Amino acid sequence: MSCTSKESRAFSLAKGFYRMRMLALTWICAMAVGSVGCGKGSAPKGYSIAVIPKGTTHEFWKAVHAGAVQAARELTASGTVVTVTWKGPLREDDREQQIQVVENFASQGINGLVLAPLDDRALVRPVEEAKRAGVPTVIIDSDLASDSTVSFVATDNGKGGELAAERLGSLLGGKGKVLLLRYQEGSASTRAREEGFTKKLKESYSGIELISSDQYAGPTRETAKRAAENLLNRFGDQLNGVFTPNETSTEGMLLALQDAGRAGKILLVGFDVTTGFLEAIRVGQLQGIVVQNPFRIGYLGVKTMVAHLRGEPVERRVDTGVVLVTLENMAQPNMQAILHPPVDSVLNAGR
Amino acid sequence: MAPSPPRLGLHGISKRYGATEALTRVSLELRPGSIHALIGENGAGKSTLLNIIGGVTSSDSGRMSLDGMIYSPNNPLDARNAGIAFIHQELSLCPHLTVAENIVMGREPARRGWIDQREVTRVAMVVLANFPRAGLLPDQRVSDLPIAARQIVEICRAIAARARILLMDEPTSSLERRDVERLFAVVRRLRADGLSVVYISHMLEEVREVCDRFTVLRDGAVVGEGELASVGNDILIGKMVGRRLDPASSETTPPVSGDPILVVNDLVAPGVRHASFELRPGEVFGIAGLVGAGRTELIRALYGLAPVRSGEVRLRGLRVPSSVRSPAARVHDGVGFVSEDRKGEGLALPLSVADNITLTRLSATSRLGWISRRRQLDAARRWMNDCGVRASSATQRVGTLSGGNQQKVAVARLFHQDADIFLLDDPTRGIDIGSKETVYGMIRRAARTGKAVLVVSSFLPELFTLCDRLAVMHRGRLSAARPISDWTPELVLEECVAASGSPLGEAVQ
Amino acid sequence: MTRSRWFRWLGPLLGLAFVVLLFGFLSGDPLRFVAARNLRIVAAQTVIVSVGAVGMTLIIVSGGIDLSVGASIALTSVVTAVSLLQGWAPLTAALAGIAIGGVIGLVNGMVVTRLKVVPFIATLGMMGAARGAAKWIASEQTVNPPATWLNRLAVSVPDPPWLLVAPGVWLAVGLALLFALILGSSVFGRRVYTLGSNEAAARACGIPVERLKLMIYTVGGFCFGLAGVLQMSRLRQGDPTVAQGTELDVIAAVVIGGASLNGGEGGIGGSMVGALIMAFLRNGCQQMGWPNYIQEIIIGITIVAAVALDRWRASRPAL
Repeated sequence: MSCTSKESRAFSLAKGFYRMRMLALTWICAMAVGSVGCGKGSAPKGYSIAVIPKGTTHEFWKAVHAGAVQAARELTASGTVVTVTWKGPLREDDREQQIQVVENFASQGINGLVLAPLDDRALVRPVEEAKRAGVPTVIIDSDLASDSTVSFVATDNGKGGELAAERLGSLLGGKGKVLLLRYQEGSASTRAREEGFTKKLKESYSGIELISSDQYAGPTRETAKRAAENLLNRFGDQLNGVFTPNETSTEGMLLALQDAGRAGKILLVGFDVTTGFLEAIRVGQLQGIVVQNPFRIGYLGVKTMVAHLRGEPVERRVDTGVVLVTLENMAQPNMQAILHPPVDSVLNAGR
Repeated sequence: MAPSPPRLGLHGISKRYGATEALTRVSLELRPGSIHALIGENGAGKSTLLNIIGGVTSSDSGRMSLDGMIYSPNNPLDARNAGIAFIHQELSLCPHLTVAENIVMGREPARRGWIDQREVTRVAMVVLANFPRAGLLPDQRVSDLPIAARQIVEICRAIAARARILLMDEPTSSLERRDVERLFAVVRRLRADGLSVVYISHMLEEVREVCDRFTVLRDGAVVGEGELASVGNDILIGKMVGRRLDPASSETTPPVSGDPILVVNDLVAPGVRHASFELRPGEVFGIAGLVGAGRTELIRALYGLAPVRSGEVRLRGLRVPSSVRSPAARVHDGVGFVSEDRKGEGLALPLSVADNITLTRLSATSRLGWISRRRQLDAARRWMNDCGVRASSATQRVGTLSGGNQQKVAVARLFHQDADIFLLDDPTRGIDIGSKETVYGMIRRAARTGKAVLVVSSFLPELFTLCDRLAVMHRGRLSAARPISDWTPELVLEECVAASGSPLGEAVQ
Repeated sequence: MTRSRWFRWLGPLLGLAFVVLLFGFLSGDPLRFVAARNLRIVAAQTVIVSVGAVGMTLIIVSGGIDLSVGASIALTSVVTAVSLLQGWAPLTAALAGIAIGGVIGLVNGMVVTRLKVVPFIATLGMMGAARGAAKWIASEQTVNPPATWLNRLAVSVPDPPWLLVAPGVWLAVGLALLFALILGSSVFGRRVYTLGSNEAAARACGIPVERLKLMIYTVGGFCFGLAGVLQMSRLRQGDPTVAQGTELDVIAAVVIGGASLNGGEGGIGGSMVGALIMAFLRNGCQQMGWPNYIQEIIIGITIVAAVALDRWRASRPAL
């Protein structure tokens, strides 16, 4: 009796186990078929290009993605079939993870890499190894300390910092106290912005004192807010203006100013754009944002890569432009085009 | 002078735990090649004595000698190195390791830190060869072995360590009869090789089978010793119980009549082979028996903590389906339970006295799911007062109270719960005399107010003072219940230790 | 020597074969998936988790846990980089990093044995403390040392090509073999199993349990230190923010490899296979072009499924 009951129990367990495995297998197969259908099927011949952002959740990177896809679509329409694969590091802002993404792409028969390196040193080795394996790399957004790249497609970040300095300087009438909340060490793009800002401030507005420029906002909005709160606590009484060099640091500073009830009283010029920033400009809590053209970064990144693959000469440095958006100019059509790149329409049309 | 000193000699060993004297000037001689039985009631001090010999605890006074040399172990390792192996009730094997690995554990044959695997296997084979019928292989995993085989592995470990003395604390409590015989064969052969054994068991029949000499402990003192063959069971039992209880000391309660609130018919559960009894409002029903006889298992099955395999349980005349196995349902039915494991299961030690008392019926002190702190504290204070719980306040953490006061809290909870049936598993275990009296008072009061009380206890005098009726549990079987006046301590003890089939077992039904 | 202990390898190994075959088949180009180039990359990528898993296996088998792995890796990578920056010889700098790892392990062990703090909490505290120390020593930036031969330890294509895989991979293989031997047939290794299987029994058999734990956490720490040096080599810099959450990858590898968090079970071989399974899953998911979230879901499911399968196997009556 007990023997048969044990057997039947084992049998039903085994049955359950197989059913479970079948379900999982079906699921995996379905996904595989789906990805084959939409990914590889369209590119029997032509160029396959991987675009690797620093992260995937910022609005900025969505615009880069859209630009890259737009470029691929235009090229395909003009007769050169180009497919773009978009893949960020598994953990956002993790250098090791981004290295692994680069390495894995280099080994899987991709024609070229378009990479926004999280670090100007750490990504050198995988990029050089990729080159040795016959996979060239175009660097976008943030520079890499290596000669093994095809081109560097990015905002002129120093100029962006200068724009911010000019805006703060003119609003303050050439005197007062400002501070700079830096982003994070190791990020070349923000360092260039920070240097452009301090240089311009020193050259053109000697009446303005930079009372703090050694604090870092860290990787997230949360760390940025904490750093901003500490700074406001220390310098809040004497402070007239602030510059923050990227999206998260601007967000953190804006939040801290709002919490302290000093938004609009202390002038803030930020970098990059979100819908929240535009709203803040409208209500006078943000006096300006330096805006890059991420759509154009992705677009020109892919275009440059394809040109190189075709054997055409390319520039070592491609400037994608930078503008200052303020309450006064934000309604102009050229600004609107930069502020609202066709992200959704481009990305969803491909589906 | 004697030509050869005893293998192990104890001289005037005393040990106190706080106010209680666990051992009083105990002396004992263990001869080479002798199996020495240590017998006595629960709490007589047998395990304490074994722990002192095994180096687990130390004595307050007295001395020990081993083959004529002074022996004073500071820890189990010293005892082990002196050739004394302790085989605990709870096995101390590593279930993930193999038989051979367990046998050489702690003294692995090795060369410069690397284990000599062939030597390990060889040592294991040599000691296992003592037990050919056990069919053990060196590379079997211990977790795959039945309990009896594991016991053999423990004994093998002792032999491999060249032990001269084995301390065995109730080694047969979890064994079946067949395995008991096998174990005894092993022990006898070890004796033939000159090994000495100190053997603790409750089962007088088993003791007679394997031991040659005995020492009886009562209340921590030696009350008898000698050759087993020269005394009868009645004398041994008389020495173990020692005193006659004064029947006048128990309060006379009016005879209980009326419909039973709980009826149990031929109940079978894990550890319980047969139990039938009735419980009436206003009576205290006692269950005597040894630890491991199935008393606790019976109560747990009734409270829904263990499955009921077969048989019938009726509550207020209604059949309780055996599928409804949850303490929550029992609490709903008005059944209250005090666990024998106060710290592990009975109380939530980090919580306050108030929380612990009101735990099973928070509905009485809350509204719409929100606890009213004031009402909770009021209720708790009332029961603390009634039950004599000594605490600085109702918000004191239960873990900081003395054992006796903790137990009062555990019983007070049943009063707050307003249970109709009190299931009390060894409610005075390990608490001081004063607290015991208070708990007795609470039990009597419960009965007076029409509660039905079921008490399990290892302490006979307590059952005789408290109970109206009594039954004895032995090896999973509950005897017929009889009025307390029909029992004597000798009868109860006989029922506890005798092999099943004694006249009382089937007597009245 | 124990049949059953070696036998436990088999499950994870079959799992690994399944993963490799599945992705080889799905990618439509099985040869590329198992091509030397791709295998080299997977090997190089799994080096850090593998080396960490060697130490973690020791700790988990003994019934402990160490959550400070990621932070230890960050700290040792920073210490090695700073030492190089100070002009120390590469070997000295690497040894300094490994030593720091050992010190962290020693402190963990002391807190566990002397202060009687449960390992989970003790190492949770160390996780914060070591991460903070890393940022402090690095002045909250990455530390970029001059290029040395250390940088070539964990490249995916080795410098002298006859090495086949990076020196770091050989290092990891050697370490794994050494510790497989130690766990399997040294007195120390046997006592690690004893401790994890039944601590009370170990104590009763006269095994110095406290000293043993101290050794286990220290040896584990040395392994994490080596992982940190390799991390420095891969990034070519000391990065105080690196390896966030790596402790969970390492624990997952050990658990997928058949170890029980209750101790007493597990082995180096299984853990290495577990690390490889995770690396192949990542590599395969990327080759398929699946987005990150699918990869994360699959790895999550794999961990739970591996352990559930193991429990299911264990619950069957022994054959």
